[in-house]
Amino acid sequence: MSLKDIVSPFNAWKRAFEKPDTIVKPLSEREGSDLYRGFHINDIDKCIGCGSCEEICQNAAIDLVDVASVKAKPGDSGLRPLIDYGRCCWCALCVDICPTGSLGMSNDYTWISENSDDFRFIPGIDEKKWNRSEKGYRRSAESWLVDPNRQHMNEIEPDKRKKNFDEYAEGFTDEQAMAEAGRCLDCGICIQACPTHMDVPKYINAIRNKDLDEGLRIMYETNPMLEACGRICTAKCEDVCAVGHNGKPIAIRSLKRYIGDQTFKKKDEIMDLKPAASTGRKVGIIGGGPAGLTAAFYLRRFGHAVTLYEQHDKLGGMLKWGIPDYRLPADVLQREIDFILRQGVEVKYSVKVGKDISFDQLHKENDALFISVGAQIGSDMPIKGMETEGVYSGVEFLEKVAKGEKPFVGKEAVIVGGGNTAMDATRSSIRLGAKAKILYRRTEQEMPANREEIREAKEEGAELKILSTPTKIEKLPSGRLKIECLKMELGEPDKSGRRSPVPKEGSEFYIEADVCIMAIGQKVEPEFSETIGLKVTKWGTFEVHSDTLRSNDKVFAGGDCQTGPDDAIKAVAAGKKAAYFIDKQLRG
Amino acid sequence: MKPIWNDTKEYDLKSGKYVKIWQGPQHPGVTGNMSLELLLEGDEIKLLKTHVGYLHRGFEKLMERRKFINCFPIVCRICVPEPDTNEYLFAAAAEELSGIEIPERAKWIRALNLEMARLGATVMGLGGQAGSFGLGTIGQWAVAHRDFLLDSFEELTGGRIYHMYIVPGGVRYEIPEGFEGRLEKTLVKIEKLLSDIDKVMFNNAVFKSRSKGLARIPKDWIEPFGINGTTARASGVSYDVRKDHPYLIYDQLDFNVTTGTEGDVYARTELRREECLLSINLIRQILAKMPKSGPVRTFIPDIMHWKIPAGETYVRAESGRGEYGYYMVTDGSEYPQRVHVKGPSYTHAMSLLEKLAEGNTNADIFGIMVSLQTYPPEIER
Amino acid sequence: MKELIERLRSKFNAKNIKEQRKNFVFITVEKKDLEGCVLYLKEFEGYGHLTLLTALDWIEKDQFELVYHLHNYSNKTDVSVKTFIDRKNPTMVSINNLWAGARVYEREIKELFGIDFPGCPRVNDPFALEGWHEIPPMRKDFDTKKYSEETYFPRPGRYTKDNVAQMEEQLYPVEAEVKNGIAETVRKK
Ligand code: SF4
Ligand code: SF4
Repeated sequence: MSLKDIVSPFNAWKRAFEKPDTIVKPLSEREGSDLYRGFHINDIDKCIGCGSCEEICQNAAIDLVDVASVKAKPGDSGLRPLIDYGRCCWCALCVDICPTGSLGMSNDYTWISENSDDFRFIPGIDEKKWNRSEKGYRRSAESWLVDPNRQHMNEIEPDKRKKNFDEYAEGFTDEQAMAEAGRCLDCGICIQACPTHMDVPKYINAIRNKDLDEGLRIMYETNPMLEACGRICTAKCEDVCAVGHNGKPIAIRSLKRYIGDQTFKKKDEIMDLKPAASTGRKVGIIGGGPAGLTAAFYLRRFGHAVTLYEQHDKLGGMLKWGIPDYRLPADVLQREIDFILRQGVEVKYSVKVGKDISFDQLHKENDALFISVGAQIGSDMPIKGMETEGVYSGVEFLEKVAKGEKPFVGKEAVIVGGGNTAMDATRSSIRLGAKAKILYRRTEQEMPANREEIREAKEEGAELKILSTPTKIEKLPSGRLKIECLKMELGEPDKSGRRSPVPKEGSEFYIEADVCIMAIGQKVEPEFSETIGLKVTKWGTFEVHSDTLRSNDKVFAGGDCQTGPDDAIKAVAAGKKAAYFIDKQLRG
Repeated sequence: MKPIWNDTKEYDLKSGKYVKIWQGPQHPGVTGNMSLELLLEGDEIKLLKTHVGYLHRGFEKLMERRKFINCFPIVCRICVPEPDTNEYLFAAAAEELSGIEIPERAKWIRALNLEMARLGATVMGLGGQAGSFGLGTIGQWAVAHRDFLLDSFEELTGGRIYHMYIVPGGVRYEIPEGFEGRLEKTLVKIEKLLSDIDKVMFNNAVFKSRSKGLARIPKDWIEPFGINGTTARASGVSYDVRKDHPYLIYDQLDFNVTTGTEGDVYARTELRREECLLSINLIRQILAKMPKSGPVRTFIPDIMHWKIPAGETYVRAESGRGEYGYYMVTDGSEYPQRVHVKGPSYTHAMSLLEKLAEGNTNADIFGIMVSLQTYPPEIER
Repeated sequence: MKELIERLRSKFNAKNIKEQRKNFVFITVEKKDLEGCVLYLKEFEGYGHLTLLTALDWIEKDQFELVYHLHNYSNKTDVSVKTFIDRKNPTMVSINNLWAGARVYEREIKELFGIDFPGCPRVNDPFALEGWHEIPPMRKDFDTKKYSEETYFPRPGRYTKDNVAQMEEQLYPVEAEVKNGIAETVRKK
C-alpha cells in the first residue's frame, strides 16, 4: 500500500468535468433501433388469417379471432391474430414464419396503460400510434422460415416426349416428396378452394410422418379419383396456398400423385373396405365419368345397389376420352376405376339412355337416378366453313386420339381456344407429327388453361398467336385449309373481370393449315336432354337445386351436364354431393 | 472414504453465541435473486447455506415439450447479462445432432456476438465488484458503459437484453450497414473506462486492503469444487474453452490465456479487467478477419416439424464466468428428450461460496460472491 | 482415447461406446461399476473435473439414466459415464466424497427426479422448489401443462378459432356437411 493508492482514486473527479454520458431525455424521443422488435404491426389486407403465427408462438400469445371488418373469402379465413403482450416474449418467430409478410414489428416499445386488457389487441385493427411505423423488424428473404422454392418432378425432355403419348412426368421421389411436404405450413387455407374440400394438410402430414397408407385413407374420404386428380387436377388449392403469396405454392397435386403412386399396388389391403350393409335400395347412374364413378363409389359405401349406364365401351368419361395418355395414362385411370367397381357396382356398357333403353324404364326400376352425362358435344363457332373437312371440334379430335384412331393432322394444325382442351389438342397434334399454332382471342394472361400446360405446350414447340380469332374457313384447291382471321384488342373488363376482346377494324389476315381444331367449349347433348324431359337452363345444362343437386322427385344431376364444361374435381365433388343427398333422401 | 469437505458441525443457536441472518433474495450484491442463510459469531461467518429457486422457471422441463425452434427464444432467459451464450449453445447442440453446417460468415458473426456479450457482462461485473466494496461510482460508470454496448446489441439484434439473434442454422440476418464503426466508438469508450478503473479501483487503498488475500482459492480446490473460468485462472489453472476446445472460429484468432497466481478477490477482479481488454481485442480481430460477404444462415427445412435424429452431445463455450455447457439428448422426435444446462455459477455459487464464506466476515460476503460472478438463474434454470 | 476405451471395457465392462467427437466419448456401465469407474477415471486417468452430473427419465423403459460427465484438463478429453437405474425406488451411491461439488448435483436430482443419494450431505434440503407437493417435476409423467391449467386460470373472454372450421362455417356449410357425412362411410369398419 503506497501513497499513490490513496491519491489515485481521486482521479474519479476528472469525470465530473467531462461532458456527461447520460443525459435526461424524454422517453418518447428515444426511438428503438431500425430492427427493433417492438409492438407488432399487421397489414390487415395482406393477412389471410392462416394461423401460422399462432401455431409457432411458443407462448400461446396469439389467438385467431373474428374481426368485424373482414369477412372470410376464398384464400382468407377472415380471422386475424390478436396478441397478448402479457405473454409475448418478442421473439419475432411469428414474423419470420408469416407467409404473406403482413406481420411485422414496429420499433415502438413505450406505451403505458393502466388497464392490462389494453395489452391484448389485434395489430392493424386497433388504432395504435405505431401502426404506420416504417421501422422495426420485418422478415427478410433470408429470415423467412419457409422455403420459397418448390420441388420439381423429373420430366422427360420436350424433344423426346413430343414423339409419343407416354407419360412424361415421373412423379416425386421419396426425397422430393419429403422436401415438398416439409414446405407445407399446415394452415388449411387450401381446403376451401378444393371443390371436394380434400384434407390437404392431413395427407401432407401423412407424407411427413411417412405414413402413406393413412394418406391414402384420408384422400378416399373425399375423393375416389385421386390418382387421376393427382395428375390432371386444375389444383385450385395451389392458387390460394399461403406459401404462394411470397414463394411458389406447395406442389399439392404432385404430393397427391405421390401417395397414389406409392400405394396403388396395395390399395385393397390398405383401404380394407368391408361392403356396407345393404339397404335394399337401387340407384341408377347415367354416365360413367368422374361424377358418376364418384357417386357410385360412395353410394356403395352407403349400402345402396348401383347400376351404371355408360354409352361407351369404357368408363372414365372425359378423363378417358378428353385427356390424352401422356397426361393420364389409360392404365392408371383403369386401375382406379377398377377399385371403384370392386365395391360392387354393376355397369351396363354401350347403352345409350333414350335409345337403347328408355329413361322412363330406368325411372321406374330405380329408387333414385343420378344424371352425370357430362358436356360431350364440342361447341361450334358461328363462322362460315365450320363443316369443312379438316375442321374438328376439340373433344371429337381428342376422342379419336384416345381411341387410337390417329386422326389426320397433316403438317400444320391450327387450334382455336385457350383452355386445357385446346392445350391437349395442341400437344396431341404435335405428337401426331404436326406443327401446332394456337389462336386465342385474348392474351396469354387470360388463358384459362393451367400455366404449366401452356408452358409445356410451348416447350414442345407450339406457337401461340394471341389476340386473334378465325372468321372464315375455306378449303383450298390443294386440299389445305385457308383460315381467315381478325386481330383483336382488349376492351373493358366484363363480369368475370377478364377484359373482353373487340375486333380491330381492317386487321384481317390469313393462315393456311391442314386441319383446324375448335376447342372453344362444350355443351350437353341436346337430344338427350329432350328425351328425358328435365328442366334445362338457357345454356342447355340441367336445372337442379344448387344445394342438393336434386331436380325433381328422385332425379339428381351433377357434373358438367349441370355446371357446363368444367374440370374433373368439380365433377367428383358433384358426384359426392349427389351420393350424400340421394342417401339422405332414400333413408327419408 | 473421508469426505473432502466436512461441514457437518452443529451450531447451537440457543447458546446465544450465534446469530442467524438472511440476505436476499432481493439481489444480495448485484448478482440476482438468491438468498444467503448466514450463521454468524460476531462478525465472522461460521456457516453459509445458499438458497436458490427464486428465479426457477423450469426451462429444462419446458424445453422437453417445445419443438426445437420454439426452445430457442426461451434459452436466453437462463442468463440475463449474457444470454447469447445460451442461444449459441442451444443452436450448436441442435446443429451438431442434426448434422447442420452453418455458413462461415455466420460463425464469425456468432463469435462477434458472443464477445460483445462477454464484454458487456464483464464490464458490469467489474462495476458490481466495486459496488460491493462501497465504490458506487464505478458501478454507475460500468452500468452506463454496458448500456452503450446494449445500444450496439439493439442495433445488431433488435433487442437490448434478449437478443435472439443466434438462431439454429446461423444468425438471423446480416450485420447492419456501418455497424462496425459505431461499435468501435463504444470499444474506445470502454478502453478509457478501464484505464479510469485502474486508477480508481485497482490503485485504491480501500479496495486493495479489502480484496487482497480475501477468499483465496487454492489450486487444489479447482477440481473437487468444479471451478473454472476466470475464477480458476486467477488461481493459476490455465483453462479457457476458447483455447482448449476452440469452437466457431476461435482457432483463427490470436490470443493468450492470462492466469493469476494469488487466487484471491483482487486477482480475480484483475483478471476480469484483462478479460475486458481481451474481448475488445478479439472483437477487433473478428471484424478485421471476418469474410466480408456470404450467407449467414443455413436453411432448415420444415422448421415446425424439425426432427433431430436420436443422439446425445455436450457442447461448451467460454462465458464471462467460465465454461458454459449444454447437454442435449434427442430421440428422433420433434421435441428434445432432455436438455441439461450447466452454467459456471452452478458450482461457484453453491458449494464453493459456502466453503469460501467460512471464517470471513459478513461485510465481505458480497465482495466474495460477486468475485465468483455468480448468477442464480443459471443455477436453478 | 482408443486405449482408454479398451481399459474401461476390460475393467468396468463399458458398453455402448460412442465417440461423439474425436476427444469425447460416451460409455455406459452397470450401476455397481459406476463409482469404481469414475473413481478410476479421476485418480488414474486424470479426469479430475466433474463437468456435470444429471439424470434422464426414460419412462417407457422404466429406468432413470444418470450421466457423469468428466473432463481431463491435461489432455483435453471428455468421458461421459452413464448408467441406468431402476425407476421404482431409485437410489444411487453418492460421489460427494470424490467431488465436493457433487453434493449440489445430487441434491438437485433428488428434488427434481426423486433419485436418492444416501450419505450425501443435505440431500433432502429443498433445492429450487419450496413447498412442492406434486411428484418430482422433471419426471416425464409430470405434466406441466396440466399443472398450470389446474393452478392458474385463463384470462376471461379469451378464445381462439380454427381457420379451417371458420371457413367451413362461413363459406361452405352444406359441402362441409356432405364432406363429414361421406368421410364416415370410408372410415366405418
Ligand atoms: S401468419 Fe401472417 S398471414 Fe397468417 S394469420 Fe399470422 S399474420 Fe396473418
Ligand atoms: S414475438 Fe414471439 S412470443 Fe411474441 S407473439 Fe410473436 S411468436 Fe409469440
